[in-house]
Amino acid sequence: MARVKAPGIVAIFDYLDDVTKALEEIAEKAEFKDHELYTPTSFHDLIEIAEKKYGPSQVRWFTLTGGLTGAFTGFLMPLWMDYDWPIVVGGKTAGIYSLPAYFIFAFELMILFGSLCTITGMFVMGRFPNPEDTIFDERTSDDKFAIYVPGAQTGGSQSKALKDFGAVEVFAYPVK
Amino acid sequence: MEEKVGWDKSVSDVNDGILIAVDKPHPTYYLALTIAFICMVIFFTSWGILVTYGMGLTGLNSPVYWGVCITNFVFWVGIGHAGTLISAILFLFRAKWRNSINRSAEAMTVFAVITAGLFPLIHVGRIWYAPYWMAPLPTTSNLWVNFRSPLVWDIFAISTYLTVSLLFWYMGLVPDIASMRDRVRGFKRLIFNVLSFGWVGTLRQWHHYEAGYGFLAALATPLVLSVHSIVSWDFAMALQPGWHTTIFPPYFVAGAILSGCAMVYVIVLPLRRMLQLEGFIRHEHLDALLRLTLLTSTIVAYAYSIEFFVAWYSGNEYEWAIFRKRAAGPYCFYFWTMVFCNCIFPLAFWSKKVRNNETWAFIICLLVNVGMWFERYNIVLSSLVEDFLPGSWGHYEPELIEITLTLGSFGWFFTWLLIFCRFFPIVSMSELKLIMPKPVRNHHHHG
Repeated sequence: MARVKAPGIVAIFDYLDDVTKALEEIAEKAEFKDHELYTPTSFHDLIEIAEKKYGPSQVRWFTLTGGLTGAFTGFLMPLWMDYDWPIVVGGKTAGIYSLPAYFIFAFELMILFGSLCTITGMFVMGRFPNPEDTIFDERTSDDKFAIYVPGAQTGGSQSKALKDFGAVEVFAYPVK
Repeated sequence: MEEKVGWDKSVSDVNDGILIAVDKPHPTYYLALTIAFICMVIFFTSWGILVTYGMGLTGLNSPVYWGVCITNFVFWVGIGHAGTLISAILFLFRAKWRNSINRSAEAMTVFAVITAGLFPLIHVGRIWYAPYWMAPLPTTSNLWVNFRSPLVWDIFAISTYLTVSLLFWYMGLVPDIASMRDRVRGFKRLIFNVLSFGWVGTLRQWHHYEAGYGFLAALATPLVLSVHSIVSWDFAMALQPGWHTTIFPPYFVAGAILSGCAMVYVIVLPLRRMLQLEGFIRHEHLDALLRLTLLTSTIVAYAYSIEFFVAWYSGNEYEWAIFRKRAAGPYCFYFWTMVFCNCIFPLAFWSKKVRNNETWAFIICLLVNVGMWFERYNIVLSSLVEDFLPGSWGHYEPELIEITLTLGSFGWFFTWLLIFCRFFPIVSMSELKLIMPKPVRNHHHHG
């Protein structure tokens, strides 16, 4: 992958409680601006920090939009097709009088469109796929945590602070 | 219950343990794959013969035009339902034990629904006309499908269900494929990177991922209830005695979940051995699955009795006649197989001894699947053979081709399932890490 991230440092953590504490402490500090955490999974403690950092996820608006669009489509599509060529079966009138049956389509399409939009929302809000993304350390998809701080140096104050929080390793990015 | 799970592995063992097993399955895996593949060949040969020579090869004849193919369709859709129950409903209930078996259950759902979807296509005979009665496409005379037909509702329900199950399943796979990518080099790495959409696992990604996963679970939950309700309306919307009852939707949903839970056990137990996953799919998780099977079995038993009671209590003589004939008529074998396999045998799961005995639990779960197949057969057949007019009564027995199609469908299903677990982790690694002991430092010391 292309190395397009700003130079900085990457601190590796072994323990969840260490990294949680570090994130809480550095959240507001200017010298840690634009820091990013890489984690193997969505531990609850980390998601709580994300809630504070990013606010409630905006994916919900994608879901709502998709769901409403689906529900409307589910009503309008059979209505239009019914008026285009009415099929009267067993004396059941086509069109608006058959609306109860169209709740089924509205319901199913609400879920279908809602799900597709949820996935889209996850991609858009999570900013991926993104060719500029970098994996700083391959162990972060296994069992390690990494905090990336752009603009910092290995000998700098940020590096020392992260070590104090329990980082087992701090290295410079890009690796020289 | 989760606290009592005796983990002997830690979060650090997850990727190594699961992915190494994926690469080196037990020889029995290849044996199972070969058998499944042979059955799949039988399936397609049978289908080919059926398309070549026509539907006259089946036992279908007036008045029975729905037979084993429709039975199989309902059976396989039902199998799929436990996948969504385990992955979505138990996720919303925060039942942690789901995290070790949800991937297998979701994979089962996807392949079961694909299998189910083949049967209406087989059943119509000339499949090349199928799109015109299935999808809202106008025919050459500009005629649309009939939107008041439960069969068209079913098309929408099943295709939505397949799509949402696929999304849910694949969404769970994304972080795991990223984990696989980070262990390999070269071309494989590129492939896995594309398949995982370049997932890197930042806090931002996980934040929106978790929200999206929750919404998908919340959408999949009403979906799974609606899908089998709509499948049941294929029957309940008709005036046929034995079909025309209001209990059908909840009754079908409960049955679907029962058969699905039993099927998850039947699948997970051997896979756990073949892929050496005993350290990750713990005994306690399987025990919880068996208890869920027991619960749904009692709901199904209740539904059977209520259905029977209402048939008598309604005073509708046609309805009551069908039910009497189900229990004591020419098809009583199917009825009693269904009652024993679905309601009586699973009662053994009240005993902890039986739940702990993998052989017995496996046999009972297999029997539940047999019973659920016969339930569908019983519903489809015993109602169709005898309606209001004694002059039009008939008889139905499946022909050889319908039996080979049924057996073959298991081959088709298991081939895909086994291929899947040879290439991708059958246990959701990122979710498993959430239920294991947290990777925390015991004593805090800085410096």
